Amino acid sequence: MAQYSVFRPWATAGSRSGTLDELRREMEGLFNQFGVARPGRARWGGVFPAVNLYEDGSQYVLTTELPGVNADEIEVSIEGSTLTLSGQKRIDYSNLEGASIHRRERQSGSFRRAFELPSVIDADKVEARTRNGVLMLRLPKSPEYQPRQIAVKAS
Amino acid sequence: MSNQSEARDLEVREKQISESEGTRPGPVFQPEVDILERAEGYLVYADLPGVDEKSVSVKLESGTLILDAELATTPDPAWRPLLEEYRFGSYHREFRISEGIDTARVSASLRDGVLELELPKAESRRARTVAVQAG
Repeated sequence: MAQYSVFRPWATAGSRSGTLDELRREMEGLFNQFGVARPGRARWGGVFPAVNLYEDGSQYVLTTELPGVNADEIEVSIEGSTLTLSGQKRIDYSNLEGASIHRRERQSGSFRRAFELPSVIDADKVEARTRNGVLMLRLPKSPEYQPRQIAVKAS
Repeated sequence: MSNQSEARDLEVREKQISESEGTRPGPVFQPEVDILERAEGYLVYADLPGVDEKSVSVKLESGTLILDAELATTPDPAWRPLLEEYRFGSYHREFRISEGIDTARVSASLRDGVLELELPKAESRRARTVAVQAG
């Protein structure tokens, strides 16, 4: 199996890139705080597929565009806070006999990408769904990582 | 035709912004397409993730094929973005088609975010083989 690295956009310890990322995140936080649109370019893991990650209360929502990839061809696995997406995009025109190809821009091939999520996920409750070529994952945070209200008692 | 190898790894490509000015707000992207030609017509495949049958439009106007599509669903504005590696918006692309197309018989279907268009050539434009008879 091919080597692949885990993408850790939340990493803070040690590495230079981690520190840079942290700084950038702080900057983005500041932009958000002041209601200014974020600077143009998205942060980029550089590995297929590009993903967007959102926080929706007690769960994360991950979306990624996989046009032409059948749900059966996508594999999602979760271990702790590490999510791995892998699969295949097949393009096969061999059944079109006598056809000549004028333009070929769509790409086929395999992909595999691992991410570290900001917290541990309740793997049993993860929901994965494809619709119109977009994969959406609902990733509930593990109960022990969810914010909890602590009742204050008078002594 | 040879089957394309599936062994290679997919690469991240930045989406291309469509050059034509749109009237809609938000970015307009150029979808990636494959175009094939057969004796009976053309086949166009376009990657349109997030688009459904109701949000896509295909027009043929004086030799130009015009493709427009909107996203059927967008992220809930209540979600807090943590990481945004790709942008999304509507799609637009145009192609000049040199040969006459039988517009009445154009068909389109969508599957897994891929549009498949069949553009049959008009009967008069098809290449015909003429049998040569001995005199």
